[in-house]
Amino acid sequence: MPGSIDLSIWFLGTAFELMFVVCSLARRSFLRYFFLNLYLLISTSVSIGRFLILWRYGGQGSNQYMYFYYYSDALLTLTLFGALISLYSRVFGELRTGEYVKWGAVFLLLGTAGFSYAVVAQSAQRLSTGFAYELSQNLYFVGLVLTYILWGAVLKLRETRTRLVQIILSLGLYFSGYAASYALMNLSWKFSIIRYLCPVLGCFLPLSWSITMLRNSEEARLAPAQLVAVPR
Amino acid sequence: MSRKLGALVLAMGILVGAMGIKTALSSNSKGTVMMANGPAPLPFPPPRPDSPPPSN
Repeated sequence: MPGSIDLSIWFLGTAFELMFVVCSLARRSFLRYFFLNLYLLISTSVSIGRFLILWRYGGQGSNQYMYFYYYSDALLTLTLFGALISLYSRVFGELRTGEYVKWGAVFLLLGTAGFSYAVVAQSAQRLSTGFAYELSQNLYFVGLVLTYILWGAVLKLRETRTRLVQIILSLGLYFSGYAASYALMNLSWKFSIIRYLCPVLGCFLPLSWSITMLRNSEEARLAPAQLVAVPR
Repeated sequence: MSRKLGALVLAMGILVGAMGIKTALSSNSKGTVMMANGPAPLPFPPPRPDSPPPSN
C-alpha cells in the first residue's frame, strides 16, 4: 500500500477535482466548460476506482492495479484531448474555423492511434495493454504540442477572456511539468522523486482551474498591454 | 476538400512534432515514458511489447 504522503496527495488531488466541478456548478459555467468538467468527473471516478482496486488487491505492484491504471489512463487522456479540442473551438470560434478544428482533431486522433498500433503491432501478447499505454503516452505529447500552438494562437489573436487564457496557461504548465519531470527522470533515475512529482502535478491542474473559476467571472477581460501602457 | 486536406497536413505535422519531442526525450532513457493522469500513485510501467512473455 502507498505511504501516508502518497495517500494525502491522492485525496487532496481528488478533492481539487471535485472542487472544480462544484465551482463550475456554483458559477453556472458547467455546460460552458462541459468537457473540462467531464474530464475531472471521470478523473474523480477513476481515482475512486483505483483506490478500491489498490485496497482490494494490495500494493502498486499488483497486476490488477497496473492494468486498471493504464486502461483508465488511456480513457482519461482521450477525455483530456477532447477538453483541449473544446478549448480550441472556443479560441477559434469567432474565426469560423470550426470545420478545420473538427477534422484536424479527427485526423490527429486517428494518426496517433495508427502510430501507436504500429509500435505495438509486432507483439502478439499484451497487445491491448501495450496499445492503451502507447496511445496514452503519445496523446500526451500531442497534447503538449497542441497546447503550445494554442498558447501561440492566444497571443497572436490577443485573446482577452481571462478565464479562457488562465485555463489554457494552466494546461500548458501541466503538460510542460510532465515533460520536465520526464527530463529529470532521465538525468537521475530515482523513482522516489518521480513518485511524488507526478501526483503533485495531477493536483496542480484541478487546483489552478478551480482558482480561475472562483476568482474570475466569465465576463472578466485582460487589459491588453498597449492600452495600459502610459504614453511618454 | 481543400479544407480537409489542410487539416490533414496540419494534423500530420503536429503528430510528427509530438513524436519528435517524445523521441528526443526518451533517447537516453531506459525506454519507459511516464506520463499519467490524476494524483494516484504510479504503478510499475507495463511490460514492453518486445519483452519476452513471463515464464509460468
